[in-house]
Amino acid sequence: MKKFKLYYDKDLEQDWLQKMSQDGWAFKNFFLGVYTFVPCQPGEYIYQIDLLDDKNKSIQSFTAFMEDIGVEVVAQWYRWVYLRKKADDGPFEMYTDIESKINQYNRIKNFFLSFLFIESICFIVEFSAAIRTENPTLWLFTALIGLICLAFLRIVWKCSFKIEQLKREK
Amino acid sequence: MCYNSPLTEALFYILLAVRKPNHGYGIIQEVSDITNGRLVLGPGTLYGAINSLLSKKWITLYSEDKSSRKKKEYLITTDGKDVFYKEVDRLRELIENAKLMEDLV
Repeated sequence: MKKFKLYYDKDLEQDWLQKMSQDGWAFKNFFLGVYTFVPCQPGEYIYQIDLLDDKNKSIQSFTAFMEDIGVEVVAQWYRWVYLRKKADDGPFEMYTDIESKINQYNRIKNFFLSFLFIESICFIVEFSAAIRTENPTLWLFTALIGLICLAFLRIVWKCSFKIEQLKREK
Repeated sequence: MCYNSPLTEALFYILLAVRKPNHGYGIIQEVSDITNGRLVLGPGTLYGAINSLLSKKWITLYSEDKSSRKKKEYLITTDGKDVFYKEVDRLRELIENAKLMEDLV
């Protein structure tokens, strides 16, 4: 089964993959918003989504490490990785202490900050072009990019909020 | 090497688990065993910690057998041991000072 969805919040995406697994659909592959699922036992797998370190570009070493400890790297999309483990093998959570949870949210925050920066420049360019030419297509693009900017801003804000929350727990 | 802040619990136990050559799964297993299942290291937490310990040279890659796809093993270095014992001294001081609480009663 294939499903098309656009997620930019990995927590919501993870919850969705988890729900699909509960319903007997195991996530298998991701490409440009298309999620491929194959039938599985209801609740057979626990899914986790992670963002790899910018410096640590070698996905091979990450995958080898995870496989050595019994975690399957199901799919990869740029720096994003989808991991899973059989639910029978016990609980599965990628990050178990506050420091590493903060690190993860920091990585995600910086990832979206750099895209927010690029998108903001695009927005300004499109916006000024739209004003100049009064072309409706350009206005449409401006609105679209504006929406993307807002979505990224929301994620950056959410990550900052989570980091602050975790720091208070320390 | 200069390290004055307390080690996190994860780093402390990872250093302990690589006093002899040990691989990722072995580290998770041993830490869980000696803490009676209280501390189960998440794969991402362990991966990040190992990379940070490697870059600080507190642990080193002990073996990597590419032909048989044997798991990577890690081993503590002299620097790592220094940091570990410094932390143990700090913890001893805590335990020692904790006795003051009992003296009061």
